[in-house]
Amino acid sequence: MRVLEYVLRRGIFSLVTIFLAITGNFFLFRVLPGDAVSNLAKVPHSTPELQHALMVRFGLDKSKWDQYLIYLKNLLHGDLGVSFTYQESVSHLLLDDLENTVVLAGVGTLGAIFIGILSGVMSAWRRSSPLDHLNTGVATLVYSFPAQWLGLVLLILFAGVLPAGGMSDQFLFDSPPFWQHAADVGGHLVLPAATMILTAYGGYTLVVRSSVLETLGEDYVLTARAKGIPARRVVWRHAVRNALLPIVTMVALDLGYVVGGAVLVEVIFSWPGLGMATFTAIGQRDYPMIQGAFLILTVSVILLNFVADLVCFRLDRRVSA
Amino acid sequence: MRKALAALAAVLLACSGLSACARAGSQTADGDIYRLGSDQAIDSMNPFVSVVTTAFAVYEQIYPTLVQLDPEGRFVAEFASTWTTSEDGRTWTFRTHPGATWSDGKPLTAADAAWTLNTIAAFKDGPTAGLANYVSDLDEASTPDPNTLVLRYSRPVANVLNRLMSVPILPEHVWREYAGGDGEALTTFPNNAPVVSGGPFVLVRHVPKQVALFKRNPAYYGPKPHIAGFGIQFFSSDDAMITALKSRQLDAVRTVPSTSVANLESAGFEVISSPGLRFESITVNANPKQRPEHRELADPLLRQAFDHTINRAQIVETSLLGHGRPGASIIPPGTANWADRSLQPTPFDLGAANRLLDQAGYRRGPDGTRIANGHPMDYPVILPEDTYGGAGLRSFQIIRSDFAKIGVRLTAKLLDNAAANEAVMANESQDFAMTMWGWSGGTGDPDDTLNYLTCQSWGILNDTGYCSEEWDDLYARQGAAMTPAERHGIVDEMQRLAARERVLLVIAYPDSIEAHSREWVDLPQVGGNSFSSESKIPLLSVRRAG
Amino acid sequence: MSVRIGDTGAGGRAGIFRKVLRDHKSAAVGLALIALFVLVSILAPYLSPHSAVESSCAVFEPPSARHWLGCDDGGVDMVSLLMHGGQTSLVVAFTATLVSMAIGGTVAIVAGYFGGWPDTVLMRVTDVLLVLPDLVLAMVIAAVWGPSLFHVILVIGLLQWTSTARIVRAEVMSLRERAYVKRARGLGASNGRVIVRHILPHVGPLLIANTVLTVSAAIYLETALAFLGLQDPSVTTWGTILEHAFARTAISSGAWWAIVPDGFVIAAVSIGCFLLGRAIEDALNPRLKVSHLSGRRWRLRALVAKGANAR
Repeated sequence: MRVLEYVLRRGIFSLVTIFLAITGNFFLFRVLPGDAVSNLAKVPHSTPELQHALMVRFGLDKSKWDQYLIYLKNLLHGDLGVSFTYQESVSHLLLDDLENTVVLAGVGTLGAIFIGILSGVMSAWRRSSPLDHLNTGVATLVYSFPAQWLGLVLLILFAGVLPAGGMSDQFLFDSPPFWQHAADVGGHLVLPAATMILTAYGGYTLVVRSSVLETLGEDYVLTARAKGIPARRVVWRHAVRNALLPIVTMVALDLGYVVGGAVLVEVIFSWPGLGMATFTAIGQRDYPMIQGAFLILTVSVILLNFVADLVCFRLDRRVSA
Repeated sequence: MRKALAALAAVLLACSGLSACARAGSQTADGDIYRLGSDQAIDSMNPFVSVVTTAFAVYEQIYPTLVQLDPEGRFVAEFASTWTTSEDGRTWTFRTHPGATWSDGKPLTAADAAWTLNTIAAFKDGPTAGLANYVSDLDEASTPDPNTLVLRYSRPVANVLNRLMSVPILPEHVWREYAGGDGEALTTFPNNAPVVSGGPFVLVRHVPKQVALFKRNPAYYGPKPHIAGFGIQFFSSDDAMITALKSRQLDAVRTVPSTSVANLESAGFEVISSPGLRFESITVNANPKQRPEHRELADPLLRQAFDHTINRAQIVETSLLGHGRPGASIIPPGTANWADRSLQPTPFDLGAANRLLDQAGYRRGPDGTRIANGHPMDYPVILPEDTYGGAGLRSFQIIRSDFAKIGVRLTAKLLDNAAANEAVMANESQDFAMTMWGWSGGTGDPDDTLNYLTCQSWGILNDTGYCSEEWDDLYARQGAAMTPAERHGIVDEMQRLAARERVLLVIAYPDSIEAHSREWVDLPQVGGNSFSSESKIPLLSVRRAG
Repeated sequence: MSVRIGDTGAGGRAGIFRKVLRDHKSAAVGLALIALFVLVSILAPYLSPHSAVESSCAVFEPPSARHWLGCDDGGVDMVSLLMHGGQTSLVVAFTATLVSMAIGGTVAIVAGYFGGWPDTVLMRVTDVLLVLPDLVLAMVIAAVWGPSLFHVILVIGLLQWTSTARIVRAEVMSLRERAYVKRARGLGASNGRVIVRHILPHVGPLLIANTVLTVSAAIYLETALAFLGLQDPSVTTWGTILEHAFARTAISSGAWWAIVPDGFVIAAVSIGCFLLGRAIEDALNPRLKVSHLSGRRWRLRALVAKGANAR
């Protein structure tokens, strides 16, 4: 019963948040001062007829309330408007971008968690040794650099060795076999993903370290060791498992930041994701694209947050059980 | 859990192992692929929608044009093999290539050219406005036979070939259905790959913002290209693009930033600088009816003082690293032989500038900023996105710090290109104070550049607020002057007039800089570009060395 | 009487800071780092070896005895540029932090002190803002408003108050139940008076601890916005220095000195904020140890605190 209630509560919260984000998005572009409003109908090089058609489509000639309803109705149909620059459907244009961002952010986050666990456990295991101090020191320092700076430094160090721009070898005329394509994308992924990993792993290292240290001091771990279970196994079995909760909590909290980092990394490495799309659209004042990209990013973050909440809840119950 | 981690580790290791080497060249069974990097993406494959030069260079490769430029800057045959002009200069007759076909096998004749020109003329106030100036004064295009095109103009036009060179001939059988009614459908047709092509190449794939790939068009009526195809990869940053060139992921880069020249040269790349077709300028609103908050900007003494405050030598040295020259005339040195070389850049002289402003009665206020008509001389300078990147911003910073020394404050106002344009044209050019951006001149003809300053360009192209009968009169006369000597005389007079009136404070002409790997040879430049919107010759002749 | 309590509050506050600096060596290091950068920024016009505007050497000149960190793409000395950039960066960070502290503090006190529906509404809004990706939101707002220094400050201030509000609210709620606050209210002190005399002095240290961390978050957000071209192009900040170097191809030109030092000064300030903020919070609430991990993502601690409350 408690489970259902929790899921329901978080679910409703997520829905409300999504609704608020959608509404905020509307306000940002139609109600706040700025030249966005007039621009929704001012497609560069368009004829008065097209402008009129857009006025009607967005209901710009109607009251703000009517506009809001039209906007909601269009959204329900998955209609995010038409890009000024490409004169094509925004949702259609952004679908591939979303996929590319998921690949980058996914590998970056999983990599950061993996490295964070390894180095965190290592530090806790050799607590207060020079290795521990070096490890936590480096983690804190790396964690303090801005994401874009880390990207640029990787570019300085590895340009010429690793692909530095785009998502795959762009000059292949025939689509290569799957594994070859995967390897190609993998190669292009190394630098951007490494940047994402560097920006995040430090935090995970510190979380894992302190969590493992805490667990190692607890009674049942001491009991387990007293029973003769090898220390290594105790650490992996109990300590690391207990560190998962804070890690998932942190991942959830970081989602917004991960997306922000992805924007910067995509811009540096010309990675064709949602961040790049937002960046380019801002440069071109392509308001439907900005709006669409922003909406997709926020809704994804909210949904992922919901998922993370549920995972946390489950882990939490298991820990306390 | 452990398994998942192991899998992740395996993926990471595999990725890093497999990617170790960037590919050093690209090939297909048919031959070599020439790989180009560009910092500007194709905005649309539809010539009626696009506004960027990359797209027009692409159209040049996939569509026929009547004529083209050769590397020496002469008009030579393309789809038209010969042409003649009537005595009165109003009728032009072109013989086109017989027996040509489009890439889908349909016949390609003079009728396609006539249809394209007539369609542009028919909707020139609406959907085809972007190409309209290439057909101005054209009464009718007709085809007495499939290989003859006759153009009738309402008055003698001096630069017909220059205009026609820029018009891509579209396949009538594909486009006709969109030209009905008000022609609105012409702008909504996406023209996506595979595009029916008549030029040397066919577009096979276009991923917006990422890449466009082209392969040889076997149906092309002209000479067979040496390469099997080419591709353009688009970059969001110059730095990533140059890095890709250096790591051999690209064979060539279209626009090399001045800061990279020395580095690329020492890395063994062929770097080609040629006199630019572009000029960067500061526009000071010349409209006498502009808003009272900055009406003093129309004062000739003030304009002269501002002109003296631009440190052109330092801008060329610092922003352009010597890859450019200080500006004087509004016709850039790259526009064939049209620039009036007797015009000299206004010398940088802060003393003179201060004296002029004192003389005009603008006294310094308590904070050192001068006061004009009761308000401090503090002007927003509109900087469009294009100018803002890199070198342009550096130039602005130099100018801004020198203006501070004559008691004039400049603040940057960043806008995207469309918004910047709109801000300048708004309210009959009364609202803006200053802008900093640039114009591209034509390769072979000054007409476009001169047109920017006419009264009829107000609200469309004229970004200066300038309008005078004298100028319009000269503009009309140069357009009708049929002998080169006569036209040169008038064009020189116009350049001197513009310099005297300080309509545009021309800062500098940046060189056009390209770089390519030495593995590629026979890559001539036309108007400073080897990926040209005015010629098919470079990509027809380029080949891998050896 | 109320004066006496007020004095105790102030004394307690000063006492905490003295204790923090005495017990936590790292706090002193953090404070010293921040003080150093603030001092250098203020004195930049006197300390900087060359002009930060005009060129004093060749474009991308490598480091030398005369120019310790080389020169940027305009031939401007990097050391001078970093000093002046720091000035603006810190002004942006501190001003934005003040804005966010004011909003966060007000929200926290209103929600925590009055409870009821204001609490529910304000906390739901806070939760929503906490979830949204702040850089993306900031990008969009900055893009709609247009790039300017003022807008950047405002955007950062408007986005960074959420976790301050969360943490301080919890503290206010517990203060509300304290005996002396209840007594003051019983004696007929107005809400405003109670808040000013009894609540504010006690949440002050917590507010400051969070504020210190907001400063580093604000610096990050500013550098990110500047890197994306959403900062006023006429100002120099640590963010625009990076942006400009990248736009002028410092990397492919081999001019690493135009990029690398910038990251280290940002990291140094950030670590300073992290050390100081962590130490203050340690002193205030040693229970929250697990959350003391984040310099940049200081919002983390808010949710961990929330999680701790829930459990």
